[in-house]
Amino acid sequence: MAAADPNSHLPLPQAQFHVLVALTAGERHGYAIMQDVEASSNGLVQMGPATLYGTLKRLVDAGLAEELAHRRGSDDDQRRRYYRLTALGQRVCAAEANRLAGLVRITRANLRPGAA
Amino acid sequence: MSAAHPVYRTLVRLYPRDFRQQYGDDLVQHFDDLVADRGTAAACGRTALDLAVTVPRYRLETIMNERHSANAVSIIVGSIAAAGVASVLVGIYPGALLLVVAFVLAITQRSAIARSLRAPDSDRRRRRLHTAAALAVLFAASFVAYLMLIGETWSTRETVLAIIGNGALIGAVGFLAAGLLTPKTPEQQRNGART
Repeated sequence: MAAADPNSHLPLPQAQFHVLVALTAGERHGYAIMQDVEASSNGLVQMGPATLYGTLKRLVDAGLAEELAHRRGSDDDQRRRYYRLTALGQRVCAAEANRLAGLVRITRANLRPGAA
Repeated sequence: MSAAHPVYRTLVRLYPRDFRQQYGDDLVQHFDDLVADRGTAAACGRTALDLAVTVPRYRLETIMNERHSANAVSIIVGSIAAAGVASVLVGIYPGALLLVVAFVLAITQRSAIARSLRAPDSDRRRRRLHTAAALAVLFAASFVAYLMLIGETWSTRETVLAIIGNGALIGAVGFLAAGLLTPKTPEQQRNGART
């Protein structure tokens, strides 16, 4: 069973966080998630097929994402499996973003000219 | 569909069965999308790296999975013990060392072996009891053949029969014990109560 406390899922592995961030924009199929991850990381994070689906499996098993049972759309869309964030996934994603924002604040403060 | 499509579909078989059954078609679809989007060379390059990293990783995760791990331990202990008993029976006394190794493994890994034996899987119980029955038949057949062929001098054929018969007997007892220790499903329990 998925742990309901978002903090118990932190820190998230990089790949999982990138996939969750892609899903914050709405439901996506696997290939669209990969494209979003590449775009949001300026091409630094490039996921292969098994890395992506292994990550999706972990997120689904942890209750952070779920597969959509039915999807309206074109024939091409019907062949693909779509995923979306769960309520827990949204909370975990927000908590991870806050954690990273805190780290960014500390880093910027420490690296500010004259801060040493 | 690219020429690389059947190659990748074949390579997907390298992944653990559960992952393959759940995501095999998605992996191939994703690969086809990559080929259409980025070209065959780029798709193959990225996917080759992905395969090299994820196949051993997912395989290892499957092995480390609790139930598979418990099964592996029980099979290893059983195999070592059987090899030890068989080698002692045919007069290869260093086989006693294998028995000691099996004994130590059985003691140190007893909880993993217990989990493996208690898995609530009716098919497993049935398979174990069927295997025990088949090995018992093999033991009986080899014993009868041994009685018919035994002569005044110990020959190679008698040694072979002794190995087969003793191995089958040990296996039959082991599988019988494992089968009896495997819990019945509720349906089997209801059927047992009616009779």
